[in-house]
Amino acid sequence: MLTVGTLSPAALRARLAGPGLRLRTGRFTTCLRGDIPSLAAGIAQLYPDYPLLGEQDFADFHLQLQRPCNGRRWLRPQVDLLYDGRRVFRPLPLAQALPMFEWGLNWCVSSRAHRYLIVHAAVLERGGRALVMPAPPGSGKSTLTAALAGRGGWRLLSDELTLIDLDSGLVVPNPRPVSLKNQSIDVIRAYLPQAVLSPAVQDTQKGTVAHMRAPADSVARADECALPGWIVFPQYVAGAATSIEALPRATTFMELAGNSFNYSILGANGFHAMARLIEQVRGFRFRYSALDEALDALPRLDDFAA
Amino acid sequence: MTLAWRITPGQSLLHRCWDGQVVLYNDASGATHLLDQATLDFLHALRDGSVEPAELADPALQDLLRRLQFLYLVQPC
Repeated sequence: MLTVGTLSPAALRARLAGPGLRLRTGRFTTCLRGDIPSLAAGIAQLYPDYPLLGEQDFADFHLQLQRPCNGRRWLRPQVDLLYDGRRVFRPLPLAQALPMFEWGLNWCVSSRAHRYLIVHAAVLERGGRALVMPAPPGSGKSTLTAALAGRGGWRLLSDELTLIDLDSGLVVPNPRPVSLKNQSIDVIRAYLPQAVLSPAVQDTQKGTVAHMRAPADSVARADECALPGWIVFPQYVAGAATSIEALPRATTFMELAGNSFNYSILGANGFHAMARLIEQVRGFRFRYSALDEALDALPRLDDFAA
Repeated sequence: MTLAWRITPGQSLLHRCWDGQVVLYNDASGATHLLDQATLDFLHALRDGSVEPAELADPALQDLLRRLQFLYLVQPC
């Protein structure tokens, strides 16, 4: 199987600038175009292990990043993201081309892939069971996810989008780079010295952002689904002792539904899918401040089930 | 005071119960509500016609009926 990493830098740039790079991430294929050096460098750095499809293969999403052709480009160059040839977001500074691609691809999946119940949550697998971690920004979700995938022995299924197959109820992998923000960038650089991080991009809408390359094993096993195991609502609290609190199923249901992108869109099918998921898992609230303690505690969640 | 109430047409009362708590899908609004077992029992009884008019007129039930009406789960008839 060809991977993105088999392309020379010149060949990668030529595909991006020409017919498009057909990139397979989990169950989705994206045709990505864009003659932007930072985008090509970011793809080469973060996606070398991903399957590379042929120019004629079907793509679920067609994304193009391009520089708007206006007077502003001489002063503060910007980048547009086009979806199916249409601009769906406001332009961003050119330096944010790679984060814009990442956010745009998240938007494609979360707003289009309605054969899945989609939850805004990180998800990892261990022993065949999935750990789903929904959390708002600032809760330390991505930091914890990076640590679990990089050092904790968990397989990364996704940092942002948990996909539940409506037919099987299984968690479907969608391994992509882990989005790190602000202080968490240096935390992970120190905690995982071997991790590959993209250059930090400052002054984005989320602050300073860098992406960590997904482990190669996670990418290689992107076809291996997992049984739902645990729903954990993590919260980083500086200086706090690690604590785990079991949650009632109905509470877990309501909080998880509140973190779903398409629960309401799916209607009664969403309710059935969510109910089946809840009946397969146990829910917990998890507070932590030390990554080592978190990595030690999370494999023992079953000990804390009510 | 309204003396006759019914489940809003189209509501299937799709739900799950765990440990005395109930999640109920609202077919009209698409929302999901967190209820207690007693409220679900009342909705089922109303659907099945087993709540007497005198009970529905009881002031003790009026607040519950108004809240369920606000959620489009019940309506006067």
